[in-house]
Amino acid sequence: MTCKPYIMIFPALLLVVLFSYIPFILTFFNSIHSVSLSGERLGFVGLANYRRLFGNQSFHASLSNTIRFTLFFVPTNITITLLAAVLSNRKGWLANLNQIFFFLPMAVGMSSMLMIIKMMFNPSIGIINRLVGANIQWFNDPNAAMALLVIAGVFLGFGFDFLLFSAALRNVPNDLKEVARINGANGFQIFRHLELPLIAPTLVFIIVTNIKNAMLISAPVLILTEGGPFRSTQTLVYQMYLDGFKSGNYALGSAIAIVVFLLTFAALLILLHLERRRIYYQ
Amino acid sequence: MKTLRATLSTVLSLLVVFPIAYSISASFFQYTDFTAVPARLLPSSLNISNYIRAFSESSLARFLFNSLLTSIIGTLLRMAISIMAAYTFSFFAFKGRNALFILIVATMLLPSDALIIANFMTIRTLRLTDTYMGIIATSLLAPTHIFMLRQYFRMMSVEYREAAIIEGCTDLRFLTTLLIPMSKAVILTLAIHSFSTIFNDYLWPLLVTNKTSMRTVQVGLTMMGFSEHLDYGPQFAAITFLMTPILIAFITLHKPITESVSIRFTGR
Repeated sequence: MTCKPYIMIFPALLLVVLFSYIPFILTFFNSIHSVSLSGERLGFVGLANYRRLFGNQSFHASLSNTIRFTLFFVPTNITITLLAAVLSNRKGWLANLNQIFFFLPMAVGMSSMLMIIKMMFNPSIGIINRLVGANIQWFNDPNAAMALLVIAGVFLGFGFDFLLFSAALRNVPNDLKEVARINGANGFQIFRHLELPLIAPTLVFIIVTNIKNAMLISAPVLILTEGGPFRSTQTLVYQMYLDGFKSGNYALGSAIAIVVFLLTFAALLILLHLERRRIYYQ
Repeated sequence: MKTLRATLSTVLSLLVVFPIAYSISASFFQYTDFTAVPARLLPSSLNISNYIRAFSESSLARFLFNSLLTSIIGTLLRMAISIMAAYTFSFFAFKGRNALFILIVATMLLPSDALIIANFMTIRTLRLTDTYMGIIATSLLAPTHIFMLRQYFRMMSVEYREAAIIEGCTDLRFLTTLLIPMSKAVILTLAIHSFSTIFNDYLWPLLVTNKTSMRTVQVGLTMMGFSEHLDYGPQFAAITFLMTPILIAFITLHKPITESVSIRFTGR
């Protein structure tokens, strides 16, 4: 009878050990060994893999691209989703319609959305260049390719971030806004001095999760740009995929995984710290 | 001021929905519609040939079957494992309970993308590549679900269960006739979340499947062979076919989804 609770949590425990703890330890071990193509550890090499990684041009590109992407993506995404939430936080059928449109991207699967974007931005027959009347080489110009990744990132996360912002804005008491309006505050002042401080917890939460997601970006790179042109959009997780799977260099791939882990861990620590202070529960 | 706000909001919402609207429209385009001058936004005729080609010239039906099967089985197993664990952690007193709970919940800190190389090697050792089990194996555990369910279950007092057990009720009956019906809303929300996470997963199924016949739809969609030859019609048709049921569900369930998000993430 006393072993019953252990039997009931056994599946969950087995799964965390098998697919979280063991792989984590394996990743760390592989990153300090040389590893054969079949996955066997051949010998202890200490920090040699990390030294190779940090001396590697390709890794420098991945690291700086990942950081660049994060720096471009997070502010762009937050500005647009917050703007959408603020503008559509009103009454009436048109506002309702706007809200539905804003959250619809959430209904589209990631690879579907990326394939739509890939076809829309095709330089020759894609609708974007043809509508704008420009000839932007979205896949062959380093700056345009980075912009394309940011655009894709905004569409992929739009619905969810919008919903979080709208929910937070709806929780701002109406009578407070009424009082401010009677006292002569305009729309922007109400947003800046009343709504913004009250939704700050949600804002912080979205910033941190956005940073984490941006640092882990891989699917848009895989589907849209394949890291090109000239590695200008190659990111950390994409390089991990290239080195770890395409070239079978598990040791180097594992070293990148550890770097990725440390970077996201830092972001998550900040989130947990803020959560412990219950900052986003208001 | 009011009209300016409404106008800005509407323009922005049209931009956001544009890729979806364009995909639906372009799924009816003939090849010449894509190259027409000036650029077309609407098809020249409503012709479903792209849909027929999407299914007949690719394995779309098979991809869809694989995805539905893995998402349904994965969701059911994931919910069963989570409910059982959350139930045990909320109603049983046993040695090491808190330590084991932390052991499970702490994995929320490990980003699964950073573990895929090692997980791939495990799946290969277990000879599970190109199997349904391999596709769902790593998504069977959701520490966030266990955490949230436990928070919810703990609202019910432990004496409640003890009284029921003394009356001769088994754990299974207590769960199925009392606890699960009582927690229907939260369980449903988590199940929907699980389904869409597994259904939309990309990187993992890409790694563990090699055979075309085992591809999930998210992976298969990027390898249909149409868009590489600038043959966009069938590609848009496949995408539109996939997203239409979910779009309809989202539009009709707009209110409850919005509310569940505000409850889950703002703590109200």
